[in-house]
Amino acid sequence: MLKLTTRRFAATAACAALVGLTAACGGSGSAKAGGTVTLTYMIWQDSEKAAYQASINEFEKAHPSIKVNLELVAWAQYWSKLQTGAASRNMPDVFWDHLAYLPQLAKEGIVTDLTSKIKAANLDTGVYSPKLLAQWQSGTVTYGLPKDWDTIATIYNKSMLAKAGLTADQMNHLSWDPATGGSFVAALQKLTVDANGKHPNQPGFDAKHVKTYGIALEAPNGQQDWWDFGLQNGCKLQDKAYGKWTVNTPACVQAIQFEQDLRDKWHVAAPGSETNTPNAASLPQILAKGDAATTFDGDWDLTSFESAMPAGSWGVSALPSGPAGTGTVFNGLSDAVYAHTKHPAEAWELEQWLASPASEKLVADSGTVWPGIPTLNDGFAAAWKAKGVDVTAFRTGSEGTTMGYPLTTSNTTFNTIVLQDFNQVWLGQMTPQAAADDVNSKSNAAITSDN
Amino acid sequence: MTGTAVRRTLLYAALLVGALISVAPYLMTLNASFKTTQGMFSTQAWTPAHPATFSNFASLWSQYDMSGFMVHTLIVSVAITVGQVLFCSLSAYAFARMEFPGRDLLFWAFVATMMVPQIVTLVPLFLIMSHFQLTDTYRALILPYVFGTPYGIFLVRQYFRTIPPDLEAAARIDGAGTWTILWRIILPLSRPILATLATVTFVNSWNNLLWPLMATSSERTTVITVGISALQGQYASQLNIVLTAAAVALLPLIAVFLVFQRHIVRSIALTGLK
Amino acid sequence: MEAYLLIGPSLAGFLLFLVVPIIGVFALSLFSWDLVGTPQFVGLANYRRLAGDGAAWTAVGNTVYYVALNIPAQTVLALLLALALNRKMRGGKVFRVLFVLPWMAMPVALGIIWTWAFDPRHGAVNHLLSLVGIAGPNWLTSTTWAMPVIASVNVWQYTGYTMLFLLAGLQAIPEQIYEAAAVDGVSAVQRFFKITLPLLRPSMFFVLITNVIGSFQLFDTVFVMTQGGPGTSTTTLNYYIYQQAFQLFHAGYAATLAIVLFAMILLVTAGQFLYFRKRTVYDFS
Repeated sequence: MLKLTTRRFAATAACAALVGLTAACGGSGSAKAGGTVTLTYMIWQDSEKAAYQASINEFEKAHPSIKVNLELVAWAQYWSKLQTGAASRNMPDVFWDHLAYLPQLAKEGIVTDLTSKIKAANLDTGVYSPKLLAQWQSGTVTYGLPKDWDTIATIYNKSMLAKAGLTADQMNHLSWDPATGGSFVAALQKLTVDANGKHPNQPGFDAKHVKTYGIALEAPNGQQDWWDFGLQNGCKLQDKAYGKWTVNTPACVQAIQFEQDLRDKWHVAAPGSETNTPNAASLPQILAKGDAATTFDGDWDLTSFESAMPAGSWGVSALPSGPAGTGTVFNGLSDAVYAHTKHPAEAWELEQWLASPASEKLVADSGTVWPGIPTLNDGFAAAWKAKGVDVTAFRTGSEGTTMGYPLTTSNTTFNTIVLQDFNQVWLGQMTPQAAADDVNSKSNAAITSDN
Repeated sequence: MTGTAVRRTLLYAALLVGALISVAPYLMTLNASFKTTQGMFSTQAWTPAHPATFSNFASLWSQYDMSGFMVHTLIVSVAITVGQVLFCSLSAYAFARMEFPGRDLLFWAFVATMMVPQIVTLVPLFLIMSHFQLTDTYRALILPYVFGTPYGIFLVRQYFRTIPPDLEAAARIDGAGTWTILWRIILPLSRPILATLATVTFVNSWNNLLWPLMATSSERTTVITVGISALQGQYASQLNIVLTAAAVALLPLIAVFLVFQRHIVRSIALTGLK
Repeated sequence: MEAYLLIGPSLAGFLLFLVVPIIGVFALSLFSWDLVGTPQFVGLANYRRLAGDGAAWTAVGNTVYYVALNIPAQTVLALLLALALNRKMRGGKVFRVLFVLPWMAMPVALGIIWTWAFDPRHGAVNHLLSLVGIAGPNWLTSTTWAMPVIASVNVWQYTGYTMLFLLAGLQAIPEQIYEAAAVDGVSAVQRFFKITLPLLRPSMFFVLITNVIGSFQLFDTVFVMTQGGPGTSTTTLNYYIYQQAFQLFHAGYAATLAIVLFAMILLVTAGQFLYFRKRTVYDFS
């Protein structure tokens, strides 16, 4: 089939090789052409791209000499890319930062301390939620300005709730305890139905053929499940910020045990074989398929529920309270400025704009993400109200008892071990105590060895 | 029915089942790419998409830079393929036909590195690329493979050795030099193996994940493997879109294969043995 | 020196992108480094760490398990197909092309497709099983089934390709040998074990060497389908190296592990070489 003559073949080959070696490549990183500076801004959430593009358009209008490339890198690849980018000095100028990774990036000297710039620009940091801002500060250093926040709440299927005779108000006031399960487990029992229409607390219930589970719990590191149960049970993951892990204390182990019981003792939660990450279907998908009636998830997934489920078929309620009261993980992102950016002044302009009330309002009002400036919260809630979803529960959660992300340099080790061990806990192949001990000792060992 | 007829029928039945298993995943994926998200849950994989929707393709192209990924992958794959065919042919000819000091040692050194797993060289290769500030460029993706691989050199050299030396001897008497012999005699006779090498190289480059995952970081250089694996996380709730992307990634190779299949089937018969 | 001119480009690429990195990986294994900071010379500490790293040995075990699942299944199936197609028959060529079609499929895309097909509740596999009354397991979230499912991707992909090589080998066996055997009244089973299989050794050798080397490097499907889970059940050595280097940023330790993988491949290949050397005269020159 190769109809090329050898001569033409040779010519083509030479050309293509030349093209490959010399011409076929763009410039790398930031570039300066004709007085215009081009910045790269890297984010990971596809559903937020549109809103940030709109914000950047505004920024470019106000700063005609700065162009911004919005670069989307999926979460699964984001942190590897940042690390290899840092290794080859091929970094975005401004990028989304997460508290789980901040300590490591700070240690490597990749993120800029903004303190002096904030002072010089006379920025009023009082507009930000103090809890959020404090997480980005360490001593006299500030690594970012709060861009947004998220909490965990219950997402439920409306018609399944109605069929079980539960109201949205009841869902907002459930409580659990490790011994009896409390009203939380009672509600989940009503929502769990096997192939013959029986519930787990009825005789003849067939745990092997469950049509719909009361709840699906799925989280790679615990943020959307056992961290929250833990907080509601008085568990602390660390003794202090940048301190030792304390995952194997009784309060934590009891909370993990409670979640295992939801699956294996009460049969109201989807088994690990259906929810273990990364192999399982995503939470919006599980709810959309009708495999579970409720789930715990963060507000960043709201748009996924919106696209996966028919409009008006789902709602949001508060997490249950536990022996120690209510509680949710409260987390937020910031924009980091690369420490070795070629354009520190322009990057700071962008950082300032992205953290400004104007930009945060634009993003919040589009229903994209809760803003780091609390006075703008109403805009986000209103955007979802207009779509028929009441998202108040996330906000109520943020104003109650909360825990932030653990601050540690051993996060990557922690994540890897948690994923491995808790997969087995949810499959009933490992006890909560053994998993907690293993995670704790390996993560603590990583703090010392990595420092 | 006679015994032979029964046996023949059974044989065909078994082969048909095998062929069905070979082709079914392709067909089901293609089928799924015309289904809606709801349709994915409510129908079986083999139920025809009815009514067929093109919206998956539309959203893949509008929300995701699918054509960009394909163009990037195509540039890289074509450049590598052309380079491989060219440089492997040159080396293979030297190894097959010329006498020079260190020839056998060098050849075996080449062949031995076929055993080196890709991941062994990954980090050092990355460091070399970042030293020359080449990360996140097409050059980083092309350079490590463009000068020929041990496998390619081995493949072509074995084939060249099956060409009767008399042909060259006659040309040499007529005063032809090495280059003329290579272009005029050897390469035209070696089309099947060059087509095979081209196909194998193109397929490997098109499908390569690990190195691009490492060496590139921006959308400007994202190749299709990296793009699709990222897509999987982002559209976890819309399997139909992810499967559409998979279908789009698979189809060009089927086209390449069907064009070259006669050469491949034939030259594998030649190279597998000698 | 025309010859050097001809091999020049390949040699340059070979030295710069293969030999230098191989030397580099040995050097790197003596350092502790997170890719960004200053590398710290640690001598043989990474090798000592390896001895006590249970996870690394689990990964080695998983790799061997995968090869043991994948290679025999693939080779036997390919041989059966080759035997079936080694005759004059209508549609033989069409079958050959159809069987080779999976070979070029992108493993990343296949991972997505297989994940879908093996979905416990909505996948094609469990639905087909339910038609014959079998309740299929939750394949990819089961520590028992995840690895066999991943192996099945590879078997599906490479059986046809392997078959081509074996078919070529079968066709190279001279017809006269079979005719002579027929005269001696040799049974079909004997004929297969006494004539076909021994004469097929050169092809078998090539196929096994290349497939085993490839199998030890399983990465793409694990990356897409299981990321090494559930638990560590699909963490192959290759994937573990990736995790260490690019998720935990232990570049030095990853280099040490890479050397282990290299050594494993070297040993197994050498073993195969010796085994076949004894029994075959394979013309490599």
